[in-house]
Amino acid sequence: MEIKKTAMDGTLESSDIQITVSKGTDGVQIDLTSDVQERFGEQIKQTIEKVVKDFDVDNVNVKAVDQGALDCVIKARTITALQRALGTSAEPAWEVL
Amino acid sequence: MDAEIREMNLQNPDEFEQWRSFLAGLGIANFTADEVDPLDGTIGLFEGDRLMATGSYSENILKYIGVCHKTSENGVYFNKIVSTLLTILGQQGIFHIFVFTKPQYSASFQHVGFQEIVHSENAAFLETGPTSIKDYLAGIPKVEGVSSAIVMNANPFTLGHRYLVEEAARHSSHVYVFVVSTDKSLFNSQERLEMVKAGTADLENVDVVSGSDYLVSYATFPAYFLKSDTNRVRYQTTIDALIFKERIAPALNITTRYLGTEPHSETTNVYNEVLESVLPPTVQVEIIPRKETNGKIISARDVRLAIKDDRLADLTDLVPPTTATFITEHKVELQARIRKGMKIDGN
Repeated sequence: MEIKKTAMDGTLESSDIQITVSKGTDGVQIDLTSDVQERFGEQIKQTIEKVVKDFDVDNVNVKAVDQGALDCVIKARTITALQRALGTSAEPAWEVL
Repeated sequence: MDAEIREMNLQNPDEFEQWRSFLAGLGIANFTADEVDPLDGTIGLFEGDRLMATGSYSENILKYIGVCHKTSENGVYFNKIVSTLLTILGQQGIFHIFVFTKPQYSASFQHVGFQEIVHSENAAFLETGPTSIKDYLAGIPKVEGVSSAIVMNANPFTLGHRYLVEEAARHSSHVYVFVVSTDKSLFNSQERLEMVKAGTADLENVDVVSGSDYLVSYATFPAYFLKSDTNRVRYQTTIDALIFKERIAPALNITTRYLGTEPHSETTNVYNEVLESVLPPTVQVEIIPRKETNGKIISARDVRLAIKDDRLADLTDLVPPTTATFITEHKVELQARIRKGMKIDGN
């Protein structure tokens, strides 16, 4: 699947994560800002990457600004941002959920 | 107490006064029309009727961010305000967002995903979004060896600009011409970029590139957070010079910057003075005296006045044929923009 436009979901509030996805040319690039980067950075990136893979997106730039979000929040925000970017918000992505 | 975010209407005198006195209490003192009128929207975070935090935006720049920490944990209201502003702008399709702030607040913005482009003693300039200055620099054609650079607004491209580019091209192996992007001029950024490209197409060692959002224009630089308005040009120019010195020049191997003189403009004089004090020794500054025709210096302002007064025959002495052609073809539209109130008497 191809990213059609830049899209964002999530907030900068505590326990949330703000995900912005945009067109990429070099695989899945994740730029993460987080207070818990050292301890959980890899895990957060893996969660995002898994969702991206489930959507079958090959090239995408993801900017993630984390305020201590739980895994399920990271997943939900990434799904919504991707659906907006792919223009498929109206169709539930059952296979990903 | 629960806090609620609402849009604020600064046209409403009561709301304006609440907003103004709140920010004044946080040390922001400038609420002139110059600063306030360009705001596209303002939000406030309220506890009941009490304003506890606020933020505004103007195109892709966040402005007048102010937060009272008395009743909230550090950062909570700040994050909420910035988050809401980014969401509002995102809904309008604006994701690449900038902020000018005091240097001591740079860390707060970095905490919510902004990256600092540069900071000076008085101001910091940050950005967030899917692209950054690194992507901008990566998109500019690279050449072997060192380059020179010229930055121009070219509103429009005159024989004076042409002379400056020729002089730089003659003394350098390669020249980048950066065209300022801000759309506050009679000719829009796309038109100015095209005119400069057309007017220098015969010079083989010249590349014309857009300044994008990274050549800070006087028109977009906010002064509200500075102590006094009188030093505005100096503060803005310092940020501009630092971006050039610390970010653009190293990435493109630029060692010399050419400047033109502007005998009749105090702004340009301050600008040149700041560049001369900030850029060396990283980047050498070469000043080229203004070109004259018939004992008079060539000025883009005279070109704009000639368009306004429909004296297109006068253009021959002022602009290269490429610019003259563009103006002739777009005369009606340009004159319509002037009639609509586009200011043309600046420099």
